[in-house]
Amino acid sequence: MAPPAQSHRSSSPSQPSGKGEVSDLKSQLRQLAGSRAPGVDDSKRDLFKKVISYMTIGIDVSAVFGEMVMCSATSDIVLKKMCYLYVGNYAKVNPDLALLTINFLQRDCKDADPMIRGLALRSLCSLRVANLVEYLVGPLGSGLKDNSSYVRIVAVMGVLKLYHISASTCVDADFPQTLKHLMLNDSDTQVVANCLTALQEIWSAEASTSEEASREREALLSKPVVYYFLNRIREFSEWAQCLVLDLAAKYVPSDNNEIFDIMNLLEDRLQHANGAVVLATIKLFLQLTLSMADVHQQVYERIKAPLLTLVSSGSPEQSYAVLSHLHLLVMRAPYIFSSDYKHFYCQYNEPSYVKKLKLEMLTAVANESNTYEIVTELCEYAANVDIPIARESIRAVGKIALQQYDVNAIVDRLLQFLEMEKDYVTAEALVLVKDLLRKYPQWSQDCIAVVGNISSKNVQEPKAKAALIWMLGEYSQEMHDAPYILESLIENWDEEHSAEVRLHLLTAVMKCFFKRPPETQNALGAALAAGLADFHQDVHDRALFYYRVLQHNVSVAERVVNPPKQAVSVFADTQSSEIKDRIFDEFNSLSVVYQKPSYMFTDKEHRGPFEFSDELGNLSIGAESAAGTVVPAHRVEANDKDLLLSTSEKEEIRGPSNNGSAYSAPSYDGSAISAASQALSELTILNPSVPGLTPQSSLAIDDLLGLGLPEIPSPAPAPSPPLLKLNSKAVLDPGTFQQKWRQLPISLSQEYSVSPQGVAALTTSEALLRHMQGHSIHCIASGGQSPNFKFFFFAQKAEELSTFLVECIINTSSAKAQIKIKADDQSASQAFSALFQSALSKFGVP
Amino acid sequence: MLQCIFLLSDSGEVMLEKQLTGHRVDRSICDWFWGQAISQGDSFKLQPVIASSTHYLFQVVREGITFLACTQVEMPPLMAIEFLCRVADVLSDYLGGLNEDVIKDNFVIVYELLDEMIDNGFPLTTEPNILREMIAQPNIVSKMLSVVTGNSSNVSETLPGATASCVPWRTSDPKYANNEVYVDLVEEMDATINRDGALVKCEIYGEVQVNSHLSGLPDLTLSFANPSILDDVRFHPCVRFRPWESHQILSFVPPDGQFKLMSYRVKKLKSTPIYVKPQLTSDAGTCRVNVMVGIRNDPGKTIDSITVQFKLPPCILSADLTSNHGTVNILTNKTCSWSIGRIPKDKAPSMSGTFVLETGLERLHVFPTFQVSFRIMGVALSGLQIDKLDLKNLPNRPYKGFRALTRAGEFEVRS
Repeated sequence: MAPPAQSHRSSSPSQPSGKGEVSDLKSQLRQLAGSRAPGVDDSKRDLFKKVISYMTIGIDVSAVFGEMVMCSATSDIVLKKMCYLYVGNYAKVNPDLALLTINFLQRDCKDADPMIRGLALRSLCSLRVANLVEYLVGPLGSGLKDNSSYVRIVAVMGVLKLYHISASTCVDADFPQTLKHLMLNDSDTQVVANCLTALQEIWSAEASTSEEASREREALLSKPVVYYFLNRIREFSEWAQCLVLDLAAKYVPSDNNEIFDIMNLLEDRLQHANGAVVLATIKLFLQLTLSMADVHQQVYERIKAPLLTLVSSGSPEQSYAVLSHLHLLVMRAPYIFSSDYKHFYCQYNEPSYVKKLKLEMLTAVANESNTYEIVTELCEYAANVDIPIARESIRAVGKIALQQYDVNAIVDRLLQFLEMEKDYVTAEALVLVKDLLRKYPQWSQDCIAVVGNISSKNVQEPKAKAALIWMLGEYSQEMHDAPYILESLIENWDEEHSAEVRLHLLTAVMKCFFKRPPETQNALGAALAAGLADFHQDVHDRALFYYRVLQHNVSVAERVVNPPKQAVSVFADTQSSEIKDRIFDEFNSLSVVYQKPSYMFTDKEHRGPFEFSDELGNLSIGAESAAGTVVPAHRVEANDKDLLLSTSEKEEIRGPSNNGSAYSAPSYDGSAISAASQALSELTILNPSVPGLTPQSSLAIDDLLGLGLPEIPSPAPAPSPPLLKLNSKAVLDPGTFQQKWRQLPISLSQEYSVSPQGVAALTTSEALLRHMQGHSIHCIASGGQSPNFKFFFFAQKAEELSTFLVECIINTSSAKAQIKIKADDQSASQAFSALFQSALSKFGVP
Repeated sequence: MLQCIFLLSDSGEVMLEKQLTGHRVDRSICDWFWGQAISQGDSFKLQPVIASSTHYLFQVVREGITFLACTQVEMPPLMAIEFLCRVADVLSDYLGGLNEDVIKDNFVIVYELLDEMIDNGFPLTTEPNILREMIAQPNIVSKMLSVVTGNSSNVSETLPGATASCVPWRTSDPKYANNEVYVDLVEEMDATINRDGALVKCEIYGEVQVNSHLSGLPDLTLSFANPSILDDVRFHPCVRFRPWESHQILSFVPPDGQFKLMSYRVKKLKSTPIYVKPQLTSDAGTCRVNVMVGIRNDPGKTIDSITVQFKLPPCILSADLTSNHGTVNILTNKTCSWSIGRIPKDKAPSMSGTFVLETGLERLHVFPTFQVSFRIMGVALSGLQIDKLDLKNLPNRPYKGFRALTRAGEFEVRS
């Protein structure tokens, strides 16, 4: 399974010389091993170089391991370094031979030169062989106390490496506590920074099993520690500054003054030469001010200039990463950037992925004052050599047109596109003109005149062809030769490969028939015949449907096919705002670059920075989190450390809310909508809540179709007061919950006592969750261990979208429950509280 | 945290592999990556951050060398990219340039450098001054020294003092016989000019580059005559924040050698030093081209190295271009390059000729974009002026030198 061996196997047939040369090297090394002749180091160095270069190109040179170790008894530091490199690479595959190196590495760890001590210690820790960990503890311990900061820096990282090889050895040697002491007392900032890295990782991993570790992890985010780091931030290296800023982003300040203090302290970080520092600072500022709308705006204004500078300086790679973040901010608050639209103009030389981002931003920032310039600029791109970008820019013009009220100038531009006589420009423009007409029917006169001049032979792309056919059908009254164009298209029915086009053709010819029957009758007949014979199911069905409707009653058919249409006011947006919010929470992460929240692209075990397991080491945090211990999802932790969400619980919440145990109407399950929402939830299996469709909307559609559903039995639990009914299938995602929790005031705060049976039943938080679910009170997050449990619940009123949020802390030893209720509708919170209390009192009662 | 760094040659060969954590990243990921790069046609157009089925990859391309980093965990993407850029800078600084041979010849040094720059996936020291003290440069001088003294190690004997100093960017205690400091204003003008000659966008990105050879621990103060024109500034870590906030003065203890003290932007410039006027008229399958170049706004110094480049649209079969000044070359990748050099006093340079269009095409639909480059020594076009430079903590009077240079950045003229 070891990669070097694999690569050897694959490379050996093509490089038959490799083996011979390796054995050659072996004998040469052996000769040199014992020699003390002058100049021997130089010849060793050449040989070592050869070995390393073989290793680099992927030839397996593990066979010379013993000889390499023998030759490593030298004072030459370059030789040592090469040897360390070699040993680090092959020790894992040759654990037995690795034992040979321990001796000389341990000796080097006591060398007079701090550089050698450091390097030896680093190599020792990089061996990563589980049965050698016992030899690590001693050198690491003295390394942590070394006089030289260089050695201490290496030793701290070494502790982390040791932890990944054998967590128990590391903890037993009490290294975490030593690191903590170093972190708070060492004079060297790099040592301090490395301690922070190591401790964050170690304690996060330990937190799931040890209460002490989780306390320590909390302590890292406590005010004194965070302030200790923030006050020294200028002394840290740029990379360590990123680390500190990241830590600060997880810290929850107690009041606004604290927020302002932190921001004042870090203001100058926005002018740091390192983009990573700037972006980490921006993330912190945005997070800190989330709850203060006006300051949040000021932050946007403040970070604008640094971001725009970052984009224009630096390499294309850096620009792209910054631009992705800028893109996110622009999409969130386009109006703030509307005066900077010129920064989003594309340069000829830029790669197309950059141009694409810029086009989207230009579209977003367009408003009354700058639309003219932006559209002018976009039209320049339509003549661009890069065809995909030309298409995108035409689409962008269309999107702007659909956003704006004053589309006068834009329509002219679009129509100019149609006259450019370039296939792809015409195609894109046709699609746009169609959308535009659906929104602004008043422009039909101007558009139709131009569209009428386009020969359908020049339009090949299915989407464009479909758009043209739609217009022919819709405006057949105004377009003189519409029936004849349609007729010729129907004649070539068989050559039309796109089902979409054929469907449009059927509909268009129907519409045309009702407007100009004598001219279209033949064409309609031909189209229906062709449609009925079509192999495509949809086309066939639509043809059959039209045929039967016509047969049944022509006037009914006209009402079905050709009703007066209302202008479309808003086209559905593709990316929901919920997802955008998600990505925003993950600012300064890969999510932004991919434009997806991390749950959509990371595996569960890779979600947190520390949640991956070593295949050789005995550490398996990934498996543990899957097994259901409470491992905090780090995104939530970043926002509110009180909210502890475990992945397994998330799924539990989702499960029952879909299956609807309180539901007895079977027809609901059969309805297409529920199936769709089911499918949706299957798709986003990692998503804790079901986005999109709420049960209410599906019911409304059911009713609309008049299927005569039985009234859904209300799930109201017996003791609930008649005036308050809760929706048993309420849906709320954690993001919205947190937002609401921050915004709403506490409307009610109470303490109940819990029945003894309840206390007895509350061994795990899941038990209560299931119970409350039965009372239509859903849990969004829970945490804690006996005797203290903490829950966040939510519930929704049955008839309206009014939400109740509850924080519930239960202490089983005192049998008390402290409840804080926040509600959209304050007046109902008393009633809800009664309901909650009665539900809670039933817990544990059989 | 990064898990692995690969260096790939321009043919996709793995030149170097540096595993950073216990998670060995198989080098088959490089084959996957290279496949992607090939399928994009132009590898330089590949996104800097891409996801494979197993890893997230960050790539930075410099001089044909791809620096590829892999990770499986969420991390700030800019951190990874910045780091790779820094690795590329340090390597090119150490090896005196970047290419396949120089990396293969010095791979031991590259390993040594990476070893100090990143540990367990977290960036450590990227400050060139400190690295230079830890690992000697493989230059001719040190080769000579090693022959003479017999000490062939390229690792210095002592640990750099700066690792523990409070001025981490500065070598501990350099000594120079002649104390010198040079301050250069280097500006790039980015401009876009529309087909009707209107200036769509014009701004300057500038850097203050300092080359310092000063003994001891000098304290420098640099002030500008007109700092208010600067739109946004970014500083080297050595710059103190307060003096800039209160008086727009740069106060700093410089690193040794060449470094970028500050970068800035100046927005909304009103004019460009030269004009480029392309005219294209097409008729019946041919297109007449005429491009005129001249001085619009005399900067007071000579404008030289003027070139105009454009890519011929794909629908052109052949092109015949001549100029009254300078040389016109049409390269194999359909790029046309007209190098003018300086603008003569007596005539305005112009290039003219015809394009023959593809058969069946009456008119030209895709118009080329002209990319202009030029260089003006002695002028900072943004108008930024250095007021004075004060030096403290120096034994004797140092030599101070100031220079300025403006060149074209992304200077485009559409037609």
